[in-house]
This record gives sequence, C-alpha cells and structure tokens, in this order.
Amino acid sequence: MRDMRDKIPSFLLETAPAVSEQQTGTLKESFIDKGLMQVGEVIRTAYLQWEFASRTGFFQRTDPRIKILFLVVFAVIISLKREVYAELLIALFLFMSVAVSRLNLISFYKRVFLFSFFFGFLIALPSSLNLITKGDIVIPLVHLSQPHRFWIYQIPAEIGITREGLLGVCLLSLRVMNSLSLALLVLFTTPLPEIIKALKVLRVPDVFLVILSLSYKYIFIFAKTLEDIHLAKKSRLVGKVKSTEGRQWIAGRMAFIFRKTQRRCEEVFKAMVARGFSQEIRLHQFRKLTLHDHLVGWGLLGFAVLFLAL
Amino acid sequence: MEEIFRLEKVSYRYHGLIPALEEVSLSLQKGERLAVIGANGSGKSTLLQVMSGLISPSEGTVWFRDREVTEKTLRDKTFLRFFRERVGYVFQDPDVQNFCPTVLDELTYGPLQLGLSEGEALDRAVEIMRMLLIENLKDRPSYMLSGGEKKRVAIGSVLTMNPEVLFLDEPMNGLDPRTQVFLLELILALSEAGKTIVLASHDLSLVSELETRVAVLSEEHRVEKVGPARNLLGDEELLLRVNLIHEHIHPHGDTIHSHRHSHFLFHRH
Repeated sequence: MRDMRDKIPSFLLETAPAVSEQQTGTLKESFIDKGLMQVGEVIRTAYLQWEFASRTGFFQRTDPRIKILFLVVFAVIISLKREVYAELLIALFLFMSVAVSRLNLISFYKRVFLFSFFFGFLIALPSSLNLITKGDIVIPLVHLSQPHRFWIYQIPAEIGITREGLLGVCLLSLRVMNSLSLALLVLFTTPLPEIIKALKVLRVPDVFLVILSLSYKYIFIFAKTLEDIHLAKKSRLVGKVKSTEGRQWIAGRMAFIFRKTQRRCEEVFKAMVARGFSQEIRLHQFRKLTLHDHLVGWGLLGFAVLFLAL
Repeated sequence: MEEIFRLEKVSYRYHGLIPALEEVSLSLQKGERLAVIGANGSGKSTLLQVMSGLISPSEGTVWFRDREVTEKTLRDKTFLRFFRERVGYVFQDPDVQNFCPTVLDELTYGPLQLGLSEGEALDRAVEIMRMLLIENLKDRPSYMLSGGEKKRVAIGSVLTMNPEVLFLDEPMNGLDPRTQVFLLELILALSEAGKTIVLASHDLSLVSELETRVAVLSEEHRVEKVGPARNLLGDEELLLRVNLIHEHIHPHGDTIHSHRHSHFLFHRH
C-alpha cells in the first residue's frame, strides 16, 4: 500500500482549474449519439414485438405452426384475388383478427397504411392514366391539340385517369395493405423464436433454423456490446470528433466486433460440442395441438375456402 | 464537505420501456468513496452511467457542482469539457473501452482530447504506465493483452485525464487475486490522493475493505438505504431483502443444516 501511494504521479494530485479552457458554442448531435439511438431502436423493436406476442389474445394463444400455414395460405389467396370487394372482405377479416388479438389498432394500422401508401398506392398511381391503362376516362387531366406519337408510345389528345386504371390501383393498394396486415398480425402475435421454429412445418431444414435462431439471439448480445462501445467513446469525448478520426474509430471497432464475433462463434461451437452436438441437429418436438388450435385451424381453413370461392 | 453530485428523484427506463432506476435521490461529497451495491439487474451500472452523463434520466435531475447534467447542457462545449475532464468512467468490460491501436495511443488519447501537448500527454502516459506496471506493454495492441492487463490499460486511459471523480463499474470482475489486490491498493491510493471514487459492485468484501459509504439498491431499482459500510454490511435483514446474501444448505458430517450465507459476513478470516 505504501508502495502504491509513492507511485502516484504528481499530475494526479493536481486539481482541475475551477474554470476549464473556454470552448464556446454548441455541439450538434454526434454520430455517437445517433449510433446509440439506432442500437437502442433495434432492442426496443424486438422488445415491443416480444411484449405484443406475449399478450393473451386470440392469436397469441394459437400454435405458431397454424399461424405460419395461415400466413402462407392467405398470402396466396390475397395475390390470387382479382376483385376489389374480395380484397375488402379480406381486409375486414384481418382487421377483426387484429382486434381480437388485442393489438393496438392505431399503431398497427399506422404502419400498415404508411407502407401501403408508399409501396402500393404511390407506385401504382401512374398506371391509372390512360397512357398505361386504356379505358373510360373518369378524371380528365390534360388536353393536347392533337395526339402524338413518340417512339413506340402513342400519346392521346386527352390524358386522364381511367376507371380500369383506378380499379387496378385500388386492387394493388389493397393487396399490399392486406399482405402487410397479415404479416404483421403473425409477427406481432408470435415471439420470433417461435416463428423460426414453426418454419419446420414448411420443411425448412433444421440446420437453417438453428443458424437463424442463433443469429437472432446474438444480434442482441452484440447490440449490447455496440451500445457499450459507443458509451465508452462518449465518456472520453470533450468536443467535436473530426470526420477522419470518426472513420478510423468506426473501422477499428468493426475489426474489434469481427474478432469478438469470431471468438464467440468458436465458443458457441465448443459449448454445443460439450452438450453432445455431433454434426446432426435434433430440435425438440412441438407440443401437441390443443382443442383451441384445432378449432382455430379449421376455422381459418373455412375462411380461406370462402375467400377463394368469392 | 463539498457536494459534487446530487441526484433528485432520478428514474431511468431502458428504451423507454424497461425500468432500471426508480426515483433515486443521492448526493456525493468531494473526496469520498461511495459503493453502489445490489443484486444483478438492480440498476448499479445504470446509476453510474446516469451520474457520468452517458445516458440521460427518463425523469428527475442530476446536478454536478450545481450545474444540471442533461443531454442539452452536455452539447454546450464549455460545459462538456468542464464535465468530462472531471469525470472518468471505467467500464466493466475493458474490451469496449480500449479502442486505440496500441496501449500508448490509448493512454494519450484522453489528454490529447483535453488539448494537452503531445509531450505532456506522453509524460502522463509514461508515469501512469510506471504506476500500473504496464510499461512493457506500451506498443502492444489491446487484443494482445490478458484480462488483467486490459483492465489496467482501461483504468490508465482514464487516469491520464486526471479526473476528479472516478466511476468504476464492477472493477474486480474476472480478475485474478493478485490483480484484485493491486487494484484495491490503487483505489485506496487514488482516494488518499483526493480523488472521489464511486464503484458499482456486489462484492461485499471489496466494499468492506475500502470502507466506503454504501448505497444499497433493491431489486425494485430503488435506493433501499444509504450509510457507512460498517453499519450496512452488518444488517443481515437488509442484505437478505436485496438478495445480496442467501439461505445456504450444506452438510456437517451426518447432519444437513441451513443458514444465511455470505462470504463476507460469515466466512471472513
């Protein structure tokens, strides 16, 4: 102890000046804070998904295998239907399923509408013009003095939105909306590890399922490591980071994560070997289907047949 | 005594969802040694990170020398520098903290950030290496070091900034007994040199050796009690309640009996 006291460097005995060297101005949000927020968002989304999926709603209680089959069958039906009213009925059915699963309707449909607006409605909108879809013009837009011919395209004198085009846009938007609702319904009512396991009913090889489930798990372990790395950098920052320095730091940390991943991978393999792994993967079997699962399964099949017949 | 830190009803929820701290009020005096103890997941590391301005509380306020520590105030360059040159944080996992190419770069990083000349930064690094007995590791990259060496480098990288307050998160975790003794002596020497020490640990013998003031965190993430180590470490009911000691069953010859167990309280020599 005496030795240690004698070794304390003299600068450590100095106290910091009452006022630090002046550096005026305000810092913008640094890439460290942005990185931290992104990592936080990954964990937050997964936590919310797990929390929704663990509630005691109608779909949450159903076996994941039934839900996976429901997802595949209904995705096919949604893309097969060519009538707007059939898509509307499916949308209503999905809405009721979301409601009985006690999911937050507002936040659920906010996501659905946002994505279907961009990836359904906006993308399909130009096809409603008579330039692409021929038919009766219901909303005239532009009048030209005469029709034009440009390369292989014929531009008519009157350009507008056609009835057939509008129906096409509605159909495509509804398909996107229904597909999204369906996928999110299954995602928000089933913990992700259960979904991965249930892919077995679709004959996905076990080795693929094990890799998928290990990868999913380690995302969170490394998200935590990443969070700590960012905090460690933040704890020693006293000003703005130069972009070169920032890039060097990121490159160094990427190499660190890579080394750590490699080491972790070796350790996981050893842990698997220590517990009897011998190149052959044996996943434990599913629980037996309950009466609830059978009823839901047959019920969903009934609806599927009904929608197909429409 | 001069108050350095003050926390008023600080709560923190990870990602706005998972509670980690609930209405924690605490004050820290200049030059004192404070140990935050509690079971795993009670919020010890979170409390240290909130105090050192690495994360911002969801509710409540943190004061450092009568200035509020918030995300906004830490964007003010003057305050950021004032705060960071006085507050050092040593992470539990030294791997996340050592981010420079070599040990020497690691030790000079902080002083150079503070605007010291290269010569001064180098002098500090050499003195710290001598104190921590890591002079021979100067040019090594951090991934070529053992666990104990990495820890010494991590502590050294903070000490070269000469902070007034030193936060240590589980400082003894995963270290061999010799490094543990070295670290214990180092903490005591730094404390005698006038540094304020705050550590998070569930190692009751470490807290006893350092004779700190203790803040006990419950599993509900609240401060259960604050007081001197010698008083709180003898409070068996309190330690049992916060899950720091447990009922232990073991055989004595032919009879099996149970008693409350802690390596600090009952197996001390």
